[in-house]
Parts: sequence; C-alpha cells; structure tokens
Amino acid sequence: MALFSAFQTTFLLALLSLKTYQSEVLSEPLSLAPESLEVSIDSARQCLHLQWSVHNLAYHQELKMVFQIEISRIKTSNVIWVENYSTTVKRNQVLRWSWESKLPLECAKHSVRMRGAVDDAQVPELRFWSNWTSWEEVDVQSSLGHDPLFVFPKDKLVEEGSNVTICYVSRSHQNNISCYLEGVRMHGEQLDPNVCVFHLKNVPFVRETGTNIYCKADQGDLIKGIVLFVSKVFEEPKDFSCETRDLKTLNCTWAPGSDAGLLTQLSQSYTLFESFSGKKTLCKHKSWCNWQVSPDSQEMYNFTLTAENYLRKRSVHLLFNLTHRVHPMAPFNVFVKNVSATNATMTWKVHSIGNYSTLLCQIELYGEGKVIQKQNVSVKVNGKHLMKKLEPSTEYAAQVRCANANHFWKWSEWTRRNFTTAEAAPSEAPDVWRNMKSVQGHCVVTLFWKPLSKLQANGKILFYNVVLENLDRPSTLKLLSIPAPANGTELTLDQCSYQIHVTANNSVGTSPASVIAVSGDPGNKEVEEERVKGTEDGFCLSWKPQPGGVTGYVVEWCERPGDPLCDLQWKNLGPNTTSTVVSSDAFRPGVRYNFRIYGISTERIPYLLEKKTGYSQELVPSDNPQVLMSNLTSYSFTLSWKDYAAESQPGFVQGYSLYLKSKAARCLPGSEKAVLSDDSICCKYKIDNPKQKTFVVENLQPASFYEFFLTPYTSVGEGPQGAFTKVTTPDEYSHILIRIILPMIFSILLIMILCYLKSQWMKEKCYPDIPDPYKSSVLSLIKSKENPRLTIMNVKDCIPDAIEVINKQEGTRKSLTETEPTKPTYLYLLPTEKSHSGPGPCICFENFTYNQAASDSVSCGHVPVTPKAQPSQLGLLTSSENGPKALGKNYVNSLGEIPAGETNLNYVSQLASPMCGDKSSLPTNPPEPALCSEYKTQMAIPMGLASPPSITLLDEGEHDH
Amino acid sequence: MLALCDLGLVLGLLFLSTPAMGSCLDNYQELLGQLQKQADFMQHTSMLLDPYISIQGLDKDGLKKHCRERPGVFPSKDALQQLSRQEFLQILNTTLGHVLHRLRTLQKDIPKAQDLEKLNIAKLNIRGFKNNIHCMAQLLPGSLEKTEPTPTGPGASPSPTPISDAFQRRLEGCRFLHGYHRFMHSVGQVFREWGQSPSRSRRHSPRRGLRKGKHRTHLSSRNKRLMPRGWLPR
Repeated sequence: MALFSAFQTTFLLALLSLKTYQSEVLSEPLSLAPESLEVSIDSARQCLHLQWSVHNLAYHQELKMVFQIEISRIKTSNVIWVENYSTTVKRNQVLRWSWESKLPLECAKHSVRMRGAVDDAQVPELRFWSNWTSWEEVDVQSSLGHDPLFVFPKDKLVEEGSNVTICYVSRSHQNNISCYLEGVRMHGEQLDPNVCVFHLKNVPFVRETGTNIYCKADQGDLIKGIVLFVSKVFEEPKDFSCETRDLKTLNCTWAPGSDAGLLTQLSQSYTLFESFSGKKTLCKHKSWCNWQVSPDSQEMYNFTLTAENYLRKRSVHLLFNLTHRVHPMAPFNVFVKNVSATNATMTWKVHSIGNYSTLLCQIELYGEGKVIQKQNVSVKVNGKHLMKKLEPSTEYAAQVRCANANHFWKWSEWTRRNFTTAEAAPSEAPDVWRNMKSVQGHCVVTLFWKPLSKLQANGKILFYNVVLENLDRPSTLKLLSIPAPANGTELTLDQCSYQIHVTANNSVGTSPASVIAVSGDPGNKEVEEERVKGTEDGFCLSWKPQPGGVTGYVVEWCERPGDPLCDLQWKNLGPNTTSTVVSSDAFRPGVRYNFRIYGISTERIPYLLEKKTGYSQELVPSDNPQVLMSNLTSYSFTLSWKDYAAESQPGFVQGYSLYLKSKAARCLPGSEKAVLSDDSICCKYKIDNPKQKTFVVENLQPASFYEFFLTPYTSVGEGPQGAFTKVTTPDEYSHILIRIILPMIFSILLIMILCYLKSQWMKEKCYPDIPDPYKSSVLSLIKSKENPRLTIMNVKDCIPDAIEVINKQEGTRKSLTETEPTKPTYLYLLPTEKSHSGPGPCICFENFTYNQAASDSVSCGHVPVTPKAQPSQLGLLTSSENGPKALGKNYVNSLGEIPAGETNLNYVSQLASPMCGDKSSLPTNPPEPALCSEYKTQMAIPMGLASPPSITLLDEGEHDH
Repeated sequence: MLALCDLGLVLGLLFLSTPAMGSCLDNYQELLGQLQKQADFMQHTSMLLDPYISIQGLDKDGLKKHCRERPGVFPSKDALQQLSRQEFLQILNTTLGHVLHRLRTLQKDIPKAQDLEKLNIAKLNIRGFKNNIHCMAQLLPGSLEKTEPTPTGPGASPSPTPISDAFQRRLEGCRFLHGYHRFMHSVGQVFREWGQSPSRSRRHSPRRGLRKGKHRTHLSSRNKRLMPRGWLPR
C-alpha cells in the first residue's frame, strides 16, 4: 500500500514536472483554472448559484483547491463580495457555491468571476492562482417585463428582528414614487435613476398575514407592493430528554418552541443524531421520537436534536449512560396473600433491566384513603413484603412501584391491589346507659348502648348479649340476646336490684362486658336545676367532686328535648373528671337542653348529682304573653299574664318590658322614655323579675287615654313587636256617684220590697179601710133606740146644703204645687123656694177617701147637662180635674179643725162621676138625673161660713160632684 | 354582538329562502321581497369587505383608495336595468356563482377561525340567494331557460388566474369584494324597481304554478352572450 502511494506521488510529480516544463517552454505556467462557470438565480431566496468544474486534473486525481470568487454590482468594477472557497476537486467534478444577496437580485445587475489555485500540501509548487474567468453577468431586470413599477423582494419570509433591504424599479421617469411600510413613508437611497433601495432594520412582527410594503406614484393609480412575512423567532426545543423502559428502545421527548405566528405555518422538521454511532433519524412527531438501542451494548449516547424551519436551525444536545435512564415497567403479578386479621403478604414480579441490576421497589399501604405504611424493598426479579399491624376486618389497598436501585432515574407506575383483613373479636365493651321509670310497681329499665366503632368491633357485630343478674338472689341469671343493629332494649324488672352485663358479639367472639347496676331506688333525688350558658363549641358543664368513691360520672341529655323519643345521649367520664364540654351537631339555637350528671358508685349504680339547663344559643322570645287588665281606676290599672309559659321560650326570660303610651310628655316614675321601632316615643317599665306575672300601672290621669304593650326579654333581646292595648281611665266623680247611687238604689229596692211584703200592715197603719157603717156598732146602738125612723144615713138621702165652688181662672192651669190656695166657694143647696125645682134636695158628702161602692150608687153628681149650658159653666166642668184635689186639700184643712168628737159623723162625700176628668167625652145624652137620694148631713156646715150665692146656680146635671 | 346580530339575520334569511329546503315560494311578491331584503343585506361591507381589509392590513389611508372595484368585473347598475327579468336573473345567478368561487380562493388568506366563520356565512347567504333566484325564474312567464339551483358542494367555476404576488392578490381581493357589495346594492335596487314598475311586470308578469319539477335547462349560449365582456372576475 505504501509502495503504491509512493509510486503515485512519484508519478504525479513527474507529471507536474512535465507540465512545468511545458509551461516554461510556452512561457505560460500550467494552472488548474475553473471552467464552465454558470450562474443562476433564486429570486425567492435572493441567491446566486454558481457551478463550475476543473478540467485539467488527471483521471482519479483529487486535489484540494481554493477558488476565489468575486461578485460585483451594477458594474464590474464595483466588487461587493470576495470569497475564497476551498474544496477537494476531482477531474470534471461539478462544483457548486451559492451566495445570498442582501439586495434583491432584481434591484441591480450582478457580475461574477472566479479563479482557482491548488491548496494541497502534496503539491506545494502549484500554489498559485489561475487566471480569472470572464465576468458572468446576472441581469434580472431585463426579464421583468414592461410594468411601470416593481417592488422587490416578493413575499419574502424573515424572522422578526432581521434586517431587510427593499427596492423598487421604476420604468416611468415622469412620476415620483413614494414607498410606505404599513402606511408609514420610507426613505431610501437611489441606487440608480430607476432603482431606489430601502434598508429596514429590526423588522417587527405585525400580523399573521404579513407586513404590507408598497410604492405608488404621486399621480395616477399606480401602486405596487410586497408582503413581507415576518415570523416570530424560531425557538429551540426545550426539556429534551431520553429514557428507556426495556433497554431496547429509547424514547426521546421535548417541548417544541412557539409557533412562527404566520398564517402559512413554516414547516418544522426535527432530526435526532447520535454521534457515537453516527446514526440519524428524522422524527415523525413534533415532540417525541423513538430510537432503537443498538444491540452492541452501547452504553453512552450523545444525542443532538436539530429543529429546523425555513429560516433557522436550532439544536440541543444530550449525553447520557443508557443504564442511568431506565424507567422501569410497572410491577406485574402482584398478589396479596395470607391475609389474617392483622397481617398480609404482598408478592410481585418486575421486568429485568439487565443481568445484574437491582430494582428498588416501594410499597405503600393505604387505609381509609391515607398512606399508613411505606416500605422500600430491593428486588431482583420477585418481590415479597409482609404487612403487619393491620386492623381486623378492614379494607386496605397496597401498591408497589420500582426504580433502578443503582442509578435512580424514575419510578415505574404503581400497581395496586385491594384486600380486606379477617375479623377478630370485638376489643371494647359497648358503652351502656339506662333510663329508669316505675310502672305499676315494676321497674322499667330501658337500656341503651352505642354501636362499637369500626376499630372496636373488629368485624360485623351480629348481636348483643344482655345478662341480668339479680343481686338479691345471685343465683338467678337471665340472658337476652338482642340482634344487631339494635342499640337498646327495654326490661321490666321487679324492685329487686340487678346488675346488667352487656356484650357485643361478632362472628369471631365476644367483647368485654359493660356492667351497669339498677336498684329499687332510682336515686333521682330532688336536685336544684342550674343554668348553664352554651357556646358554639357546646356546653361546658362542671360539677362538684364526690367525696365518696365513684367509679366515674355520666352526663345525660336529650338531643331532641321536645320529642317524646328524646334521643337520649350520654357521655361517660372518668372518676377524676369534674367538668366536660358537651357538644353536638344536633344542638340548635333557641332550644333548651337539660343535662343530668350522675355519679357511678362502686356498685355500678348511677345516682343523680346535678341538673343543668341551658341554651346553646339564646334567642329573643318567640311570643308575647296574653295580658289581662283589671282594677281599672282613674289613677291605675293592673296587668297580669299568669298563663305565660316562660320556660317554652327560646331563651331564659329575664324579665318583661312594659311600654306605655300616653299624651303626657313626661314618663311616670319607674319608667323611662323609649323609642319604638316605628320611631314613636313611649314610656318603658322594666320588670326585672321573670317570675312576676302582674304589674300595677299607677299614677295615671283620670279620664285619660293610654296604650300599653308587654313583652318579655332574654339576654338577646325583647320579644316581637305586638299591638298596643288601648285603655281609658274613668272620671273620678263617676266613681263617687257609683258609690252613692248604688247603695241608694239598693236601699229603695229594699224598702219597696219591704213595703210590698208588709203592705197589709202598711194599709192598716196608713190607710185603713173605711168602716162600713152598716156594720158599725153605732148602728146597733141606734137601732137599740126606739125611733124607727132613725136609720143609717144614706147617701141618697142626703140633701146637699152647700156646694163649694172653687174659683178658678179659666185658661190657666197650674200645677198642684203652684196652685194658690183657693178659697172654696160653697153653694148652699139647702132647700129654698126658688131654687128647689128637683124632686128633692140632694146633699153631697165630701169624703177624703173614695168609695167605689158608694160611687156606683151615687146619682147626685150625675146632673144632666143641658144643651144650654153656658161656657162658664163648662169651664167649671173642665176644671173639675183639679177640683177634687183642691177641694180635698181644703177639706183636709177644714177637717183638721173639726173636733175629734165630731169626726165620726163628718163625712163629705166625694162621688165619682163617670165624666170626672173626662172632659173630652162629654155625654151627648147625659143620663137623666137620678132621683137624688136622701142625704142627711152628718155635719152641718155653719151657714156663716158660706157666702151667699152670687152666681147662677148650676143645674144639677152640670155639677159633677 | 354585532356579529351575532348579523348571524341571526343571515340565518333568518336563509331559512326564509325555502328552496334550500327543497321547495319554492309560489308567491311572487313574497319572493321578490325576500330577494330585496337579501340583496340589501348582502350589500353591507361589514359582511365581507371590512373584515378583509382589516385582516390584510389594507386599512391604511394610502391603500384604501386602491381598494375600489375594477370597472367591468361586475355589471353596472345601468347594465342590469337594461336587462329583461329573465336575463337579469341569469346574469345574477352566474355572477354569484363566480363570487362563490372567488370567496373560496380568498378563504386561504383568512387566518382566524372567527373571520372564516363570517366568510362561510357569506357563502351560505349567497347560496340561499341563488336558490331564491332560481325560484323567481320559475315564476316568471315565458322563461324557457331557467337558472339552476345552487349546488351545495364546491363550485365548478373556473378558478381565476393565480396571482403569485401576495400584495397584488390581496389588493385584487379587496377590489373584488368592493365590487361585489356594490353589485348587490345595484341588484337590490333593480329588485325594488320590479316591485315599483307594474308595466314591466305586466310584460313579464309572474306565472304562478310553475314550480320545481318543471323542465330546467342550463344557461344558454344566448344568456352567455348577454354577459358583457369583462364581467367575469379575472
């Protein structure tokens, strides 16, 4: 091989020596010049593509050469770019080189030339430049067409922040051209008379549809423009990472950068290259790629992830050891075996990650959703772990995951299994309490017990055993089995003392017994109830420690005090406890809860110690009392509300507020001004004693209007606002009048009743019956005389000797009291020659009493009235209604003057006339005057007392006496 | 909010254009009223032109004046008024077919889904309008050649000459949409004249009872001749 190389070099040198010789002969050195230079353009990329070849090389000759390339713009002397391009050249090999122009190629004519030189250490003597090729001209403008205006570059795509050169080519010399970037005018430099160039620096991203750049003529509608598509900066991939799960395949992931932000998304490609193996793969996905691990136990990997779009290429690198990037598969064949009440064994298998690798496995035990045990175990292939200290009859979940123990990379996924431990006998005695009552001489005991907690029950409780042990007859035992889930039972016992044992039983065994004793004496001694104040946290109860031996205390209460079932609750406390806080979600504001605190004797007999009552939260009274008003006087009234049940209020009633409204500006003593909710002002009396159920409102004004309203109050406030009751005090005189008038009326009534009852006696005393003369003893006396003619004087027989005429002024009528004493005028009716024309003389007796029997027989008064009666006479008649009274009075007076001895005979007859007092019914046919009876005066009125008749005598018929 | 209102109106008009549902209104006045309302609605630049100008960044003072309709792309109002009713409907139907096709081209330059939705609604609207044109053509007497109802799929119209220059393409799109709205304005006025000129309607009094199922023919060469040169979009 070395021999061949030496031969080749010698041959080449010989050839070159020959060439050199020829050159020297021809006075022109031999050079390896580029030939067949061709230039093409890529307008979109603004690139010039050059391609050429070197023909003078020998067959299979390969030399390093350098090519110098010159690019000029507009004119060849204006070289804008010179670059040396080195490459290895073969004979007739087509060489390519590209150049990107900042200025759009359409904006100016470009020219290219190049020369070459050998740059090979093997032939250092050939290191000289060849001749330049001729200038190759690139003139795009000439092929643009005939439009008057062009703007370049068309639809160029750049990254934001780039520098861009823009030009316009104008074919019209008459118009001035103005160019704008998004409506803002740009100022450029004139490249030649037809071309103007604008350099944009740091172009921003404007919108998804690109940036509008346009040029237009000052006159006319000529406008041309381009859209510059500015994309956002292409970001490199982030979080590039590779891992294996099975040592066969590597999974590489990354987070691609943000989008370009253009309407036409730039296509992005991702390539994964591993440098140690030299392998490369084009990723199909934007964010992950798989790589097949080589089977030749390659441990180290050096990856390069290349992200590329039209504008930019970004790369990130990652070097790692394969065994350090193992992400194990999840464990399989996971089982939980040998599950007892407290233990269980978990077994599993893992996927191997190598012949000698060890996996670290993590086991977690979950109970009630929380991790209760956590263990790490080293595993080759098979794993096993014993889980201890488990609770009987409890559901658990165990899960396991593994990682490479030597080089931790990531945990595998969890594999989870659920299991339930076996049951065990209940560990705790049930919490038992009782309620006792006496029914018909028997002791009815209601036993209550709380269900055991899950930890205590150790399984499903099937039944409760209740053993009754008669303490008076210890040999007597009684067993009751109560199926679960009962939480109590009722026992009817005699008055004997019993000890009760309660146990809970599941399928495995029996719990310890809970013992409680009952005796004939319930022990509910009278204990004064105390008030306690509840809080949001509950009731804080405390009690005095018992001097004697107690085995504990029990606090008992009802969670539903108003409910007959009561929902009895209790709390067991130790013997050294003297306070506790009773809290419950069942406690409601405004409900009074009663607590009873029992001490448990050494004989397990509960006895009542204290009673407490209180509200978890007091409320204002729910209703107001019905107030009754009494004893209303002019100055006071009394209010009472004895039926009001303060205990049923949602708070302790601390007293009552009495609101009194009146017209008085000032409040009475004992009250104070208060403003009601309706802003009205009234006086308020505060009654601090809640047991006071009456109240006297005093110092009121007589005949005044008042309104009152009574409401209870608790520590929270007063009861609801209610209606005021109206009351008006009476006048004080009416009160007095009532005091006088009522007794008077009563007295009068009493007298009337007495008078009625004693009417006979009164009659006898005050107005005795007129004695019947025929029955008089005088008659017998007279009859005893011999004169037969003497007889009892009959009215008919009497002859009036005088008629008393009362002068009365016509047309006037006065009351009896106002009537002036009228001097009676008497008409003497004793028989005279002239006046006597009737059948016989009539004598009228005037009598103070009225004798109906006599009046019936009287005919003398019935004097026929002649039609010719004079008005004056009628006037006399009409006044007759007053007549008898006046007459009577006068006669009484006159009688008073009569000697007592003569009174027996002194009768003045008062005869009733049918027309008496009936002047409206004057008889049209007056009855014929009856024959006047014989009257015999029993008393002759002295003549001297009578005035001579000075008036015309009335007819008999016209006289009503 | 405005877009929602527009959407509601468009949908309302579409539902009223019953041919899309398979049957035509046989009430000439009612159908004419529909066409008037639809044309009035479609003339609003807020439907297409304004969003397009905004999206393409043409809302600059120096550019707006170049966003005007190129003469000859759409028939002028005078040219439309000179046509008989049958000819008018034929021209209208054909022109809207080209509009539909052009809108599909413009759709490529709409980036946001919201704006695309607006464009799609406009396309639906045009389809409904074309169907109503078809129904109206059936009501006109003496029309041996009827318009065809709009196919619901992509149109078969020849695509316009592609313009590689993006800026020129968006300017042309803007001009086209400007012309479209102007054209619909003219169409609305012509339809309004139909309702106001009984003399012409006497000449072409609506023929009732001509419903779908009647003989349909494609646009005849005669009608194609009626299309003035340059009316078709480039």
